[in-house]
Amino acid sequence: MVAVRNDTDLLAAVRKRFGAAGFGGQDVKGGPPVIWAPAEKLPSLMRYLKGEADRTFPMLFNLTAVDERLRSHRQGQPKGDFSLAYHLFSLDRVEDICVKTALKGGSPSAESIVDVWPAAGWYEREAWDMFGIRFNGHPHLRRILMPPTWEGHPLRKEHPARATEMAPYRLPEAREEKEEQALKFRPEDWGISRRHDDTDFLFLNVGPQHPGTHGLLRIVLQLDGEVIIDAVPDIGYHHRGAEKMGERQTWHTYIPYTDRIDYLGGVLNNLPYVMAVERLAGVEVPERAQAIRVMLSELFRIASHLVWYGTFAQDVGTLSPVFYMFTDRERIFDIIAAICGDRMHPNWFRIGGVADDLPRGWDRLVREFLAWLPPRLREYDRIVMQNRIFKARTVGVGAYSLAEAVEWGVTGPGLRACGLEWDLRKKRPYSGYENFEFDIPTAAAGDCYDRAVVRVAEIRQSLKIVKQCLENMPPGPYKADHPLATTPPKQGTLDDIETLITHFLQIGWGPVIPPGEATAAVEAAKGINSYYLISDGGSGPYRLRIRTPSFPHLQMIPFISRGAMIPDLLAILGSIDYVLADVDR
Amino acid sequence: MSNAIISLITVFGVLVVALSVSAGLIWLERRLLALWQDRYGPNRVGPFGLLQVLADMIKILSKEDWVPPFADAAVFVIAPAVIIVPVLLTFAVITYAPGVAVADLNVGLLFFLAMSSLTVYGVVLAGWASDSKYSLLGSMRAAAQMLSYEVFMSLSLMGVVMLAGSFDLKNIVEAQKGLWYAVPQFSGMLIFLTAGIAETRRLPFDLPEAEGELVAGFHAEYSGMKFALFFVEEYLGITLISVLISVLFLGGWEGPLLPPLAWLAVKTLFFICFFILLRATFPRPRYDQLMSFGWKVMLPLALANLVVTGGILLAVR
Amino acid sequence: MTPDFAQSYVYVVALAIVGVGFVFATLGISRLLQLRHPYAEKLSPYECGVEPLIGDSWSPFSVRYYIYALLFVIFDVEAVFVYPWALIFRSLGKTGFAEMMIFIAVLLFGLLYAWAKGALEWQ
Repeated sequence: MVAVRNDTDLLAAVRKRFGAAGFGGQDVKGGPPVIWAPAEKLPSLMRYLKGEADRTFPMLFNLTAVDERLRSHRQGQPKGDFSLAYHLFSLDRVEDICVKTALKGGSPSAESIVDVWPAAGWYEREAWDMFGIRFNGHPHLRRILMPPTWEGHPLRKEHPARATEMAPYRLPEAREEKEEQALKFRPEDWGISRRHDDTDFLFLNVGPQHPGTHGLLRIVLQLDGEVIIDAVPDIGYHHRGAEKMGERQTWHTYIPYTDRIDYLGGVLNNLPYVMAVERLAGVEVPERAQAIRVMLSELFRIASHLVWYGTFAQDVGTLSPVFYMFTDRERIFDIIAAICGDRMHPNWFRIGGVADDLPRGWDRLVREFLAWLPPRLREYDRIVMQNRIFKARTVGVGAYSLAEAVEWGVTGPGLRACGLEWDLRKKRPYSGYENFEFDIPTAAAGDCYDRAVVRVAEIRQSLKIVKQCLENMPPGPYKADHPLATTPPKQGTLDDIETLITHFLQIGWGPVIPPGEATAAVEAAKGINSYYLISDGGSGPYRLRIRTPSFPHLQMIPFISRGAMIPDLLAILGSIDYVLADVDR
Repeated sequence: MSNAIISLITVFGVLVVALSVSAGLIWLERRLLALWQDRYGPNRVGPFGLLQVLADMIKILSKEDWVPPFADAAVFVIAPAVIIVPVLLTFAVITYAPGVAVADLNVGLLFFLAMSSLTVYGVVLAGWASDSKYSLLGSMRAAAQMLSYEVFMSLSLMGVVMLAGSFDLKNIVEAQKGLWYAVPQFSGMLIFLTAGIAETRRLPFDLPEAEGELVAGFHAEYSGMKFALFFVEEYLGITLISVLISVLFLGGWEGPLLPPLAWLAVKTLFFICFFILLRATFPRPRYDQLMSFGWKVMLPLALANLVVTGGILLAVR
Repeated sequence: MTPDFAQSYVYVVALAIVGVGFVFATLGISRLLQLRHPYAEKLSPYECGVEPLIGDSWSPFSVRYYIYALLFVIFDVEAVFVYPWALIFRSLGKTGFAEMMIFIAVLLFGLLYAWAKGALEWQ
């Protein structure tokens, strides 16, 4: 596999503008080209790349950090204890770039870029929370995923990775009281006033225990009557440290953890992870495995959209559709279970392919499902999408423009609802999507109703893709013939000792992936799901970063719900289609 | 004196029947919703799950039913009574069949309107006494919604009064011998039905509770038996509105072959099922949309109904 | 047959007493049967599982809800005048009808005024 070259043109332009000192490139094995930049130039460089350069990158796609202190393979990279990585995207040109900067010392700091991209707000808070990197000029630099009382910064290498490395957890009353107090919301901390002229605002917790928040999410509302003046989302209740876990799992044994990120998306989480590992290892995936991956991914996209469909209808008060849609979803799970042996968490993709070939009779199940769903979808159109009250509740509610969507890092159906025909499966095909015929559904208004329109249309497009998989499933192996493909083939192990040893080590340790960095992204059900992996030449990742779509989408809630009413907020939440595990990881 | 004894028996009879019907409705609603929602519903306790209600009753009687320390204790306890008694009282003035009534009032309809105004107090007091923000929001919504819909609920019934020339429910039924008022007062019936849904706070007009938004709204802080009383009141309300529609618009106990009470029961059951079907079908409008609908559509419509009914009556005469 | 209306009200009151009795009897029975297990978390109002935010719910509240209450008072009191009119409508004849038309026109005008003033909008 060809490594990603430096973007020499852009690097030259940047050097010309900001001076050559401190700027440089880096070869990576997959993902965007890298530009190293000195920390002090960051805000102006970001402003330049966002709006002034010849080739602009209007979207901040991802922002994360790496603790470099224990990493041995860093040849050619600037020295530093921590690095920051800013992943920028240009949707128009389908081009991205990663800007990195090295930070020194035990309590590093960098300039905030919140005034360049509002979307940086949560990402910078996350980097502070996880790595203890200060961002000067950030208006609310406080913990975002960990409890406010937490000590230490979990993604630092010295922070314990498992419970057994820490003292047993106890929650005496005094501590419980302290934790409770720490959760108290003080409007002043967020620049929110308690009263205005003659109005005392009402402050209301929506969540963490609320039927409308779809999980453990807390949104503090500042209300005037039922009108939302401001909202402050509080996330982290579902944080499980998925990125930290990656650092002590092997490349192979991390796959089941990915299933549980967007737990409605199943293999849609496996895919970007194994793709990133395959890029690091240089494994080419055979055709049949790619087609199986596509088919399962699309089935999971349908399953995920069905859950959204039903729960969204329920969020605006229609109680029945969710039951019909869960029935359909069970049909999908019957197929998934027949192929993978599990339903929600199939853990089915492997480095270099999939775990096993399709079972006998899989085509019958898929064919039955393809006949089953379309008439039901037509019925749902009538009871949900065409209902007048439903329209009154969603049309014009929670709208944002295309420019705002790009500004806040919105991807997936939420982006396409603004009218942009942009789907990673088409724009940068992976896993053989270029061989399939399907359309990218779009809508124009970018409101709750249009987001729904796009998703409903996507279900039909996914059916189309599944049908093509059914009719044209290519023959051949389901896993690559490559020494790093996992798990290795068993045949021959009883004939010669070399094969046996290789198999034994591969099973016991898992593959040792050569050092390097790679990024892989897929169009998941909720938006672009991307994994950024760093291998230091070990049997597991040195750093594993999961960029999920739900995280930036939730960050947008205050922006789109100001001026709306409480019921609108529930419609907005439903239309965003997030999963808290996908937000908090 | 024997008359008095019969009436007193009817007093208890109405109480027992109304409560058992509303208990039965809990079962009916769960089964019907399940049927329409592609699932089973309660089917384990007793035949067809019929004893589920009994099991629930035993459970809820033994649940901790507490008065929160932050609440206004007296009002908090009284609120369920304030909400349930007016509904029960309305059952007293309905003539179910010739001779079957607790009290045959000549102002029966006005009595119903008066009692339905009182229910608002129960809801508002419950929400206010709870001293919880969700409850407060719920009771605010309830007050505005129930008051607004009451205005045209009463206006929608005036067409019936004009036709029958009486507030007495018995007379109104008897006046429908030739033609059920559902025909000449069709729009009046629709308006009354809409208002009835709003008054009983049922989906699509369940905004004071709005599970997905306000969690449980005005009764969020209630538990155990007090919560159960709100629950029972909801079903009493459904039964009441269904009985009233049958009486006012569908000729009450009138009908061939079957005994009068059975006819009333059939008609009532039809509307009860309609209420449940609504819950299985509709989304919930937003609060301001509900208000606009009431004031801008239903109120003018109720007034128009009044004018047109009067005009036609005069012309025909 | 002339129903004795005064006596009828006695039964209504009887039902009221029985109804109140029913409410408090069930509450009483429940009190005897129930298990009690109070603990600290139950002492705070429900606000989605965390301690309630600043501010009492017994505080000045948005005036929007009260506007509807005001409208109600105006329209419901006026509607009261319609009741007796509807009852004796047949005997009033054309004049009675015309008078009521004028009254309803005034009512409607009031509604239109409130409408135009934006009293029926939330914002």
